[in-house]
Amino acid sequence: MLEMQGVTAGYDGVPVLRDVSVNVGRGELVGLLGANNAGKSTLINVISGTVPIMSGRLMFDGADISKTSAQDRVELGLVQVPEGRLVFPQMSVRENLLLGGYNRKARPDRSANMDHVVSLFPRLGERLGQLAGTLSGGEQQMVAIGRGLMAGARVLMLDEPSLGLSPLFVQFIFEIIDKLHAEGMTILLVEQNLSLTVRHADRCYVLERGVVAVEGASAAVAEDPRTRAAYLGM
Amino acid sequence: MDELLQALVQGFFVGSAYGLLALGMGLVYGVSGIVNFAHGDFVSLGMYLCFALFTAFALDPYVSVIFTVPIMIALGALVYRFLIKPIAGRQLLMVIQLTLGVALLIQNGLMMVFGGQPTRAPSMIESKLFLVGDVVIRGAHLVACIVSFALAILLYVMLQSTDTGRAIRAVQQEPRAAALMGVDVGRVQVMTFAIGVGVLAIAAALLLPGLPIQPTQGLRFTVITLLVFVLGGMTNFVAIMLGGIVIGVAEAIGTIYMTHTLGQLLPYLIFVAIMLFRPQGLVWRS
Repeated sequence: MLEMQGVTAGYDGVPVLRDVSVNVGRGELVGLLGANNAGKSTLINVISGTVPIMSGRLMFDGADISKTSAQDRVELGLVQVPEGRLVFPQMSVRENLLLGGYNRKARPDRSANMDHVVSLFPRLGERLGQLAGTLSGGEQQMVAIGRGLMAGARVLMLDEPSLGLSPLFVQFIFEIIDKLHAEGMTILLVEQNLSLTVRHADRCYVLERGVVAVEGASAAVAEDPRTRAAYLGM
Repeated sequence: MDELLQALVQGFFVGSAYGLLALGMGLVYGVSGIVNFAHGDFVSLGMYLCFALFTAFALDPYVSVIFTVPIMIALGALVYRFLIKPIAGRQLLMVIQLTLGVALLIQNGLMMVFGGQPTRAPSMIESKLFLVGDVVIRGAHLVACIVSFALAILLYVMLQSTDTGRAIRAVQQEPRAAALMGVDVGRVQVMTFAIGVGVLAIAAALLLPGLPIQPTQGLRFTVITLLVFVLGGMTNFVAIMLGGIVIGVAEAIGTIYMTHTLGQLLPYLIFVAIMLFRPQGLVWRS
């Protein structure tokens, strides 16, 4: 469904990713692992269109979208839930969710999507009128994921959704990820947490300093000694 | 006592128009993080456009707005897209220099076309006066006040409850997330700048009746706008309108009770005093 073919990309002419190939099949939950600065966030920003591709191709549903604008990619259903959540602090939960459904494709489905989000996160349903900036970190993560679903995501890209959350919330967020996966959502999960990710993902990629070091079924990736090496930078 | 009441009423009316001037600045600042030092010169330009339409077609300034608003919106969009955007986000000083350059361009352009001597564009309601008790209310001031508040409310409602307004606030609060949700951040910035300048076209027509205009007056409006904008805590709508009224009243009291020069000083003195004790602006922000 989503295919990155030999992509080199980075900032200001300096490549961060070098010749990276990643593919995500329809309905798959794919984990993207690696240490800090391995290029995980850069990779999903390339998919979102906020980091330009220097060489290689990005294919989605069989079409080359390497040159498609970031806005158009959101309309296609490539939606990122950014690291650090980045909710709109001075807007209510409801407004955050409504803004998630801002793009032209998602607008007609806003009320249906809103119902879906509230059923996934009943807690948000109770706090629709509250300013997002006053929520706890875990609740803000719910808003961020809900906002991504409101955008009509067909591929949901989650950047470190467990970052800075209490263990209880981490568990809850992963339950939600499993639930979305079971509903058929295609998910690309960026995580530093190795053991947690391999337990939930179908397949995993391990990035090391901008190249794919290991790839394969989650269990195999977890066993592979190169995975550990990539994390330790050996 | 009558004089004080007169000053308060007049200051309130004119101050609401000052508030409107500063709302445009606040909107642009919130979304693009830039302060436009050509702000007052756009007001000036709006006034001269009214003047030109008056001399050519004998149009009343209030009617001219139909033409000046679209012209100024288009101009604002062009200025932002081709002058400000290329350097926005690099260096604050560069943007300030650029807008100061635009200010000088407008001033000298107006001087070239209309000459340097003060002139006027009269309006039909300019000489209309109402007497409420012992207070004299000028028709133009009343119109300025009503239209300013109506526009402020309209802008507020637009920001609060339309998709476009939400997109503007999203860019204000978290531009990266807004872009990831499919908001074209660049377009929103151009649009808010254009709206900000378009509002000035209306403010220009509101302030014009009875006011002699000259090409170099822009800086005075820029400074008044900056005072109001800072008093209002930069982006808070209600506080900005309140700030406009404070400056308007200070100006009116200054002109009625003091000698000319000293009177013109009063708004600035009050501004300095307020800033000393409330550097965060008139209203607390949570």
